[in-house]
Amino acid sequence: MSVVPTDVADARVALDFSLPPEREAHEPPEARGLPRDGVALMVSRAASGEISHRAFTDLPALLLPGDLLVVNTSATLPAAVPLPGGLAAHFSTPLPEGDWLVELRAAGGAATVPYPGGSPGQRLDLPGGAVLTLGDRFTQRLWRARLSTAVVPYLLRRGQPIRYSYVSRPWPIEAYQTVFGTRPGSAEMPSASRPFTPEVVARLVARGITFAPITLHTGVSSLEGDEDPYPEPYDVPPATARLVNLTRRHGGRVIAVGTTVVRALETAARLAGPGLAGPGTGLAGPRAGLAGPRAGLAGPRAGLAGPSAGWTGHIVTPEPAGRLLAVDGLITGLHEPRSSHLSLLAAFAGLDLLGRCYAAAIERGYLWHEFGDLHLLLP
Amino acid sequence: MTNTKNAVITGASRGLGLALARGLAADGWSLVIDARDGDALRAAAAGLPPEAAVTVLPGDVTDPAHREAIARAAADLGGPDLLINNAGTLGASPLPSVADYPIAELRDAFEVNVLAPIALTQLLLPALRRRGGAVLSVTSDAALEPYAGWGGYGAAKAALEQASNVLAAEENLLRVWWVDPGDLRTRMHQQAYPGEDISDRPLPEAAVGAFRKLIAERLPSGRYRAAELMPSRALS
Repeated sequence: MSVVPTDVADARVALDFSLPPEREAHEPPEARGLPRDGVALMVSRAASGEISHRAFTDLPALLLPGDLLVVNTSATLPAAVPLPGGLAAHFSTPLPEGDWLVELRAAGGAATVPYPGGSPGQRLDLPGGAVLTLGDRFTQRLWRARLSTAVVPYLLRRGQPIRYSYVSRPWPIEAYQTVFGTRPGSAEMPSASRPFTPEVVARLVARGITFAPITLHTGVSSLEGDEDPYPEPYDVPPATARLVNLTRRHGGRVIAVGTTVVRALETAARLAGPGLAGPGTGLAGPRAGLAGPRAGLAGPRAGLAGPSAGWTGHIVTPEPAGRLLAVDGLITGLHEPRSSHLSLLAAFAGLDLLGRCYAAAIERGYLWHEFGDLHLLLP
Repeated sequence: MTNTKNAVITGASRGLGLALARGLAADGWSLVIDARDGDALRAAAAGLPPEAAVTVLPGDVTDPAHREAIARAAADLGGPDLLINNAGTLGASPLPSVADYPIAELRDAFEVNVLAPIALTQLLLPALRRRGGAVLSVTSDAALEPYAGWGGYGAAKAALEQASNVLAAEENLLRVWWVDPGDLRTRMHQQAYPGEDISDRPLPEAAVGAFRKLIAERLPSGRYRAAELMPSRALS
């Protein structure tokens, strides 16, 4: 059995590794002469500690009839807006009052680098006559800011996809959309579902795998290794809550496609669970949505308390308070050293298996980041 | 953390608004209800389930101070999860043609049917966003179809629909619905056909199931007709 870390920081430190530049996906697989679904899939099984190396298109055979894949319907916004003077504003996350969390970036070589400047009350002129007014600092990186016009339509007209230095040139927004993305709102692509093509989805459906949607609009990922994720808006609709509970009640596995899905479902699982810590958010806490079943099942297969929507600050960790209540497995990309995502992954695989997975991924030439390969973490 | 859900329903003294208030109260919602006719509103509230928490606010939705009072009452309940923009006016009755529509009455129809619901929505938006809430505006097929005589009401409802349509595009954290309940046996419908027998139209209660489904299932933002939301017959 793997060592269970007692602290979130342990998972990050234990999984501190150096990522060689050639392990970074610098462009979409299509640009490498592969189909969208032509990426590699590492499979790890927590019960046996096994690791195997497959193709993503093997996914239908790796899942069982009765398993439920939960997907994120958030579509990617062109969330980067160039400012005069070589700066860029990255729109990360909407707040209830209409403000947005915004990261300022400076031109730096092929892409952008963090920009430490800016002051509260500063007004920045954006293309098209829009004005961005900085409020206070929300984190070291993120400003609370107000745009003079509706942000989402503005970004759709004026923005570009957020791009970091490991992606060597700009790609059109279509390269950042997934087959499930129908509700624009994410600053960065929920990239675990990028390789899903209509053909793969059809083969999964034909095998008896069920799909259910959630929405979580994910913000910028450029946080320092020791920063925790900030609250993000999410929505677990009633029909999805029912399917999650039905699947678990009948012994099927709930497989999250992406860490965003884990966060949304685990938030919903905590909303009415007696004795469980509620999700800690910097905002007024998320709460139950409009209606729906409130009564979850007791016991370890409890599943969801019901549908819910709002903002979530819940952080999944291997610790008891962060442990998994609703999700059995995860499909995700390969994550950077020391990122908070690694402690989320440790909640599925345990630290020992996860460490062996990442060593194998580096050794076998898996590709990291949003255009890279995938990892299926099974129970 | 509370499981109580709070709704604001405008125009709840009679007709569809009252039927929706009854339906949601029966489902355990706390309500803030408004209508211009205070006596009718109080009588309506008295007929709601006694265990339901109901705040009764007589007033006119075109009055900014009244809208502020609605927002305060919703905040006092813990914040709104749902705003139902139901209050509306037919405009001039009997229905004049566009050629002859008195502009003062047309302006009044737009004040009540378009500007007031937009203003109330603006006021409640931050709280609705925080709670992952929903805005439901009652519309009509007169917003789409060229029914002679319905130019004033229809143009106002078309404006409300498009405002909802754009709101849905701008507010991707909310559900925004605009719903055509179909022809119902209401006072407004009678005003459209003065002296005619409208008893063949269903009572407003007949449409409530569709609204409850929309709300309970948190269906995606968009335009709905109540008839298409009615549950299909259960297989036996």
